[in-house]
Amino acid sequence: MNETVDQEHLPTPPGRLFRKYLYSIVALAFAALAISTGFDVWFSYREQKQLLAATQREQAASAAIQIGQFIGQIENQIKWLSRLPPELSSNEDERLNAIRLLRLSPAIAEIAELDSQGREQVRVSRRVADRVGGKADLSATPAFRGANESRTYYGPVYFFSDTEPFMTIAARGVGRDPSVIVAEVNLRFIWDLVAGIRVGNTGKAYVVDRMGVLIAHPDLWPALRRSDLSGHADVRAALDGVGPPSNGLVKEDLSGQRVLSTYATVPSLGWLVFVELPLTEAYAPIYASIGRSTFLLVVLLAIAVLVSLWLSRRMTVPIQILTQGARRIGSGDLGLRLAIKTGDELEALGDQFNRMAAHLRESYATLERKVIERTSELEKTRDQALAEHDAAERARSAAVAANETKSRFLAVVSHELRTPLNGVMGVLQLLDDGGLGDAQRRHLATAAASGETLIALVDAILEYARLEASVEALETRDFRLDQLIETAADLMRPQAFGKGLTFDLSCDTTVNTSVHGDPVRLNRILLNLIGNAIKFTPRGGVGLNAAAGRHDDQILLRITVRDTGIGIAPDMHERIFEDFVQADDSIARRFGGTGLGLAIARRLTRLMRGELTVESTPGAGSAFTFEVPLGHAASGTAQGAPSPPSRQCRVLLVDDDPVNCEVGEAILNRLGHRCAIATNGAAAVALAGDQTFDVILMDLHMPDMDGVEAAARIRHLPLQPMPRIIVVTADVSRGTRERLAGAGITKVVSKPILINALREAIEDEPEHAATDAPLATGALIDQHFLDDQKELLGASQIAKLHDLLDQTGEKLIADITAAAASGDHKQLARLAHQLGSAASALGLVRLFERCRDIELAAPLMSPPECQSAARELAALRRASMNSLNDLLHGTEQRSFS
Amino acid sequence: MTERPSALALDRRGFIRLAGTTAAGWIALGATSDRMRVVASLTALPLDDELTRRSMIDGPSSRLGGLIVGLRQRGWVEGVNFRFELRSTFGGADKLATAVRELMELKPDVIVTGSTIDTAAVLAATKTIPIVFATANDPVGNGFVESLAHPGGNVTGFTNSTAEMGGKWLQLIREAVPDLARVGVLFNPATTPRGGRFFLESIEQEAATAGVSVVPAPVNAPTEIDETIGRFSEPPKAAMVALVDSFLVVNRKAVVTAAASHRVPTIYPFHYFMDVGGLMSYGPTLEVRSADYVDLILRGTKAGDLPVQSPRKYDLLINRTVARALDLTIPFTLLARADEIRE
Repeated sequence: MNETVDQEHLPTPPGRLFRKYLYSIVALAFAALAISTGFDVWFSYREQKQLLAATQREQAASAAIQIGQFIGQIENQIKWLSRLPPELSSNEDERLNAIRLLRLSPAIAEIAELDSQGREQVRVSRRVADRVGGKADLSATPAFRGANESRTYYGPVYFFSDTEPFMTIAARGVGRDPSVIVAEVNLRFIWDLVAGIRVGNTGKAYVVDRMGVLIAHPDLWPALRRSDLSGHADVRAALDGVGPPSNGLVKEDLSGQRVLSTYATVPSLGWLVFVELPLTEAYAPIYASIGRSTFLLVVLLAIAVLVSLWLSRRMTVPIQILTQGARRIGSGDLGLRLAIKTGDELEALGDQFNRMAAHLRESYATLERKVIERTSELEKTRDQALAEHDAAERARSAAVAANETKSRFLAVVSHELRTPLNGVMGVLQLLDDGGLGDAQRRHLATAAASGETLIALVDAILEYARLEASVEALETRDFRLDQLIETAADLMRPQAFGKGLTFDLSCDTTVNTSVHGDPVRLNRILLNLIGNAIKFTPRGGVGLNAAAGRHDDQILLRITVRDTGIGIAPDMHERIFEDFVQADDSIARRFGGTGLGLAIARRLTRLMRGELTVESTPGAGSAFTFEVPLGHAASGTAQGAPSPPSRQCRVLLVDDDPVNCEVGEAILNRLGHRCAIATNGAAAVALAGDQTFDVILMDLHMPDMDGVEAAARIRHLPLQPMPRIIVVTADVSRGTRERLAGAGITKVVSKPILINALREAIEDEPEHAATDAPLATGALIDQHFLDDQKELLGASQIAKLHDLLDQTGEKLIADITAAAASGDHKQLARLAHQLGSAASALGLVRLFERCRDIELAAPLMSPPECQSAARELAALRRASMNSLNDLLHGTEQRSFS
Repeated sequence: MTERPSALALDRRGFIRLAGTTAAGWIALGATSDRMRVVASLTALPLDDELTRRSMIDGPSSRLGGLIVGLRQRGWVEGVNFRFELRSTFGGADKLATAVRELMELKPDVIVTGSTIDTAAVLAATKTIPIVFATANDPVGNGFVESLAHPGGNVTGFTNSTAEMGGKWLQLIREAVPDLARVGVLFNPATTPRGGRFFLESIEQEAATAGVSVVPAPVNAPTEIDETIGRFSEPPKAAMVALVDSFLVVNRKAVVTAAASHRVPTIYPFHYFMDVGGLMSYGPTLEVRSADYVDLILRGTKAGDLPVQSPRKYDLLINRTVARALDLTIPFTLLARADEIRE
């Protein structure tokens, strides 16, 4: 057989070829078998019918012979009686002979012996009394006349007593006066004969006489009815002498049953013996034969179908295997081997297929090897490139890290330098105790000036470091542009005058407006440019021009600072904006300075998306121009009048430093938010779980838990709503930023906390417009104001003011107490005014407001009220001073913590 | 192609046999109708008479037994698919009406009657229920049927001895008693056809030829039998002919006993008389065909379509012991004719 090694993987769908073969072979086999069986059945049918008819004819003939013999026997007996010699017997003996004959033949009902003249000699009957010597003349009877020597007379059938078929038989004796024996024969005795003839199982034979009247029938009674059958076509035909058809005749019998009929004639009598066999029985074997043949045909057909299936399969399976093999080779499966073992052309074709597949497989193998080689080369090249890229990336990271390290280094160094410098400066101030000589005082002044310069230098480096680290963010708010410029000019004018220079300020009216921007940074730039102009101008003057032009929805501020100083060489025009560069090394030596001023100024300008340029001719002076775009103020609001927050927030402040906590709380309160404090990470997580907060201000560095970790834990609490987490840190390094970004914290507020930055951070929600918070009623100090002052005046100036306030405040409180005790209302009001003015300088707003209230109410106050007011002011001053101390020192400490 | 293997030929014969068996089965099935048929019979005989027995053993010897056996051969089994109901008139006219009424109430499918009197009574009661008379001497003359070949109506049956038989009986007894001077004709006018005239005519005709005087000896009751027969014991030499008469059949013992005691040679029309010691009898051979007709009628053939059958054989029975007791010598002609000679 033909099997493939992987036949089960190759489904063999019944293809068209298979069906074609199958149908063809089945049709061929069917046709052959059907024709063969058809002919067989047809011939067999005809043959059997003939056989059947022949058998039936023989039966009829046999029956006819039997009937003939029956009559013949009677005839012989009659002849025997007639031929007895007359001498042998008297009448009585003749009677006895007749009685013997009756005894012998039951069918004979009556015997009469006539003499040659036709006279009755003896009559012996079964029914009537015997008569001897009756001499009745019967010579005219047909029986007497019919009987002659040679032939026996057979009378017609007659019915005695209406029902009994009888026949007269007569025979003449021999000799000179032959007697004639006439016998009446009861034909009912044929019934025994006819009933005894077996025709099949259900067939029958019956006898009709020459007239077509039924004589004998197995059922007896039809014969007794004198049935005349001559009207029947077949009987009629038989009576007319037409022979029976060779195949028999199919007709309906007396009871309406379809029968196969034939007949035979009884010799000498002319009677007809009909033999009938019901068709159901006659044709049963034929039908059985047909049924058998049909069954055989079906069986052979089934076998033919099976053989066809087998043959078709045998023919189509190798072709299917070839087809599928070709398909699989076409789809790339070259490992397939066709196994066709038919030993013919198909097997050769299969082998050719296998060889073709093998060749293809080899070709593919070569091709694949080449592809693999190419691929590995490409991979090598790619790996090399990736390695180079990694190296470059590492180098870049190293460079960035180094730069960051530099920035941190600068920040740390400058911070570390400030502390000892502050100490030096403090000691220098203590040295002038009034007992110094002029030379010593000059030296001391020089040392103090050097110290101041050094502090300025360190501050500059610190600021540069912050700019370098790109952590400096603009803190914008609304302010009066003209005020800013005038304040700067007022601040610098004494220096110019002190150096014998002129100072011209020309402001265009366009600057008399409120704008939105970063006034502190703007002030810094302005002071730097004016300071440089004064510094590098030995004689002549300094001029400042300011104008504000409207440009789209912005205000473009343009300020030019001119001097008549030493000027700058053209090749230095750009370099002077670089770090640590001055126009000339000698200049540094002559004028001092860090060389960072202009770099910081330009960076700040660019931070504000502005531009700082210079035009200069050496020896003829310089003109620095900077242009910055500013926003329109929301309204004509005055500086330091914050608007209430859009909504009050619940804020959790997390910081391990108590001063920071206080400052933070103060700021938050001032911004109009409610505040809770946690002094470490664990407490923060616990509080956040207990209460609902909108915002959490998280210090980054805490002893127990890092701020990022605390934030992560809070994030994992099932809180609704989840508070926004804002990290407060002075750490501005890239690493820290990335770490925060990794923890999902994008909001960072740098230390020290600036009120505006914090407000914006807290309210930085798209749906809430950020506006200034009103001054919290409970706040002692307007920190914003203080900050501004600090920025404007510098920390040292603030410290001086602080000391001054401390001293004068103490003195004024003492005076107020005294005045209250003495009941001097006027004095009380004046002193309260003085204290309020002093307090307002550093933003001690509560004290200021209370002082003003008391000043206004003083003339009407009773002495106890005055005393209580004095006490109140004393307490308020103490609290405010403490608060101020905290603020100032806290800020100092936190700035670089 | 044209030659069939012998195995198939054998098979064919087997199939014919099978088909035949099947056909026989169908016939049997046709006979066994789901409804229980009722075959009723009216007889003058008392129910304890031997002739009314119908057991298998003595069945064929009696008419009734023959009917039952014949029906069974044709597929009718008593108690299975048909019920046999027998009623007796006990030979009396008074009981006849009761018996006929009882039969009608049974609503039988066919009624078999025993004698002309019974047939007439039943025929008067119904024109629809098929009637088969077992014996009737003159059905056409009695008006039972239109003709023997085509009876019509609801009745058919079997005839008995014909009228000429009277002369035959006289001839036969005269052969046994050659010195016969007178012959007594024994009958009951109420139960014999035409009050005895049916046979008397042929007897008188034959007697005239033979020179014998005919003396009718009618009896009307069983008590009269002995006295009536006794009258023929004295000379001149007498013999008797007993006619076809149900009364005589019922009282056959008394008749035969009386004939023996009074030494009167008597010829009887039925062999029943021989069974109780009669001298000789000549009558139709018992060929019981009533089962045939009852079967056909139960299967739906109309009784009127079936021809009345006549007897085709007659038997002569002679008891030589009885003959010797009567000092009679049986001549050769009688012996040659006798179908049965009892000793």
